[in-house]
Amino acid sequence: MFKRLINTTKRALGKTSAGRYFEVFDDDTFIVSFPKSGNTWTRFLIANLLHPEEPANFGNIDRLVPESEEMTMSQLSGLLRPRIMKSHGYFDARFRKVVYIVRDPRDVVVSQFYFFRKRRRITDDYSIEQFVTRFVAGETCDYGSWGSNVASWLVPRQNSSNFLLLRYEDMMKRTNEELGRVASFLEVHQTPELIAQAVERSSADRMRKLEGTNATASVTKDARQDIPFVRTAGSGGWKSSLPEKSILELETAWAPLMTWLGYELAVLAQPLKTPAMYQLHEQSSPPGVTVR
Amino acid sequence: MRVIRYLTAGFQHAFGLHRPGRKLPVLPDDILLASYPNSGNTWMRFLIANLLHPDQSVDSNKLPKLIVDPDVTVKRDIDRVPRPRIVKTHSSFDPRYRRVIYLVRDPRDVAISRYRSLGRSGRIPADLPLETFLEPFLNSELDRYTGSWGENVGSWLAARSGYTGFLLIRYEDMVADTPRELVRIAKFVGWPNTPARISQAVERSFAHKSARPESAQPSGWRSELTVSQVARIEAAWGDIMTCLGYELVSHPSQSPHEPSLISSLASGACHSGLLPRHGWQSGN
Repeated sequence: MFKRLINTTKRALGKTSAGRYFEVFDDDTFIVSFPKSGNTWTRFLIANLLHPEEPANFGNIDRLVPESEEMTMSQLSGLLRPRIMKSHGYFDARFRKVVYIVRDPRDVVVSQFYFFRKRRRITDDYSIEQFVTRFVAGETCDYGSWGSNVASWLVPRQNSSNFLLLRYEDMMKRTNEELGRVASFLEVHQTPELIAQAVERSSADRMRKLEGTNATASVTKDARQDIPFVRTAGSGGWKSSLPEKSILELETAWAPLMTWLGYELAVLAQPLKTPAMYQLHEQSSPPGVTVR
Repeated sequence: MRVIRYLTAGFQHAFGLHRPGRKLPVLPDDILLASYPNSGNTWMRFLIANLLHPDQSVDSNKLPKLIVDPDVTVKRDIDRVPRPRIVKTHSSFDPRYRRVIYLVRDPRDVAISRYRSLGRSGRIPADLPLETFLEPFLNSELDRYTGSWGENVGSWLAARSGYTGFLLIRYEDMVADTPRELVRIAKFVGWPNTPARISQAVERSFAHKSARPESAQPSGWRSELTVSQVARIEAAWGDIMTCLGYELVSHPSQSPHEPSLISSLASGACHSGLLPRHGWQSGN
């Protein structure tokens, strides 16, 4: 009863966190991804491009590119429009303009595994095999499984001019070019120098240092400090961290989607006719991602 | 003004007279009836309510007390619905529901049906030409949470197709053989499905098949949409329509060698025995 009263008062004053129930405007832009897919890095890149006068760090990032799900209603309504916000949500028809970041699920699961240790959501004796099974079932977070989150966005929006698909692996390989695509999509002023500066200010090394000095951002606060938030920032790490059984589990669950995205299957036999639909934007680059 | 609104809402909350809408808390055993609007959802709810409550005469007032419609049923009534609850929605994909019956209908017919029903309810001007209506219809500007037909159907199919907790029903199959499809639904959930119960439910729900009988007929679009209107719909959602067996009449250019994303994801729906491989033959 008492709890309900507090909650009602909080709601009336706009102090509850919004979740999926906040007001969305048609001129909002969302940086969307399943968790642990490079969203924070992308937010840093965008923040550093938009605000050359104020380099992004873990203290100001929630103000520069806010997290829509974590903010309270009153915080959200205080933002200047047009807003650029982060979300991990599965498909939401109200989001008109979306940058969607996708990452190889085999790397995502390893990343989430360590992130959960950092946040003390699993103990150190919780095995990666157990974790992968829960991950495939979509039980590790409230944003659907990796496959349902990605597919729920791709199928409705893949051909929309207001949808930009980024692969984390491409961003790693040619950060400046991919940030340039983001800038054009957001219609943000860009020069090669501004892009290079934003990339430099968002490098993994720099982000690791920033994390050490100020970790008040919602992604880093209240967590174990012996496990970094910016961990390996790489791709293909799953090859050494995942047992074959777990790789098979992931590939069995999402083979068509992974293949379509250019994530080569390692354990499961490749389908005979690969529908390699993912079109890279440069003719010169070979299709698909080569992870090593 | 704002204060009065808050107070009214507060009293409604206190007495359970508010409608939770999208904020309805999900229970693990909920059964979701999802569809884009104007796809036969009301008819399906009558079929199910009549199947489960043969002792009651189900009408439009009683329906929301038997099957939860979060936008219509008030909280107090929702709390009285026995579990597992059956919940109706027009929302796009929602991973919280473990058991989902998804009802889909040919978007060319949905366009006409939606155009008429929005015109009747006054949500669009009565004299708005169908041609003009197609613009917001195709661009998901009609309902914020529902998305367009392609977004609604696509998000559910992409994320859930092939899951054991997901049953796809085509409106056209319901029209063609209502008892067969109702048996599929009943078996999916584990409801009684004796021939007598099924045929009684079908009979009692017949009047609710559609508000307007003429728009309930499959492939009415053939006579009501122009060639270019059909082409616009097919250009927007052709890949999903093909996957569902709705034969395209325009766009011969689409290469059959390149499977679309939806067809590789939803191959279970597209090529299983449940849906005819060559599509539901409209017009015969």
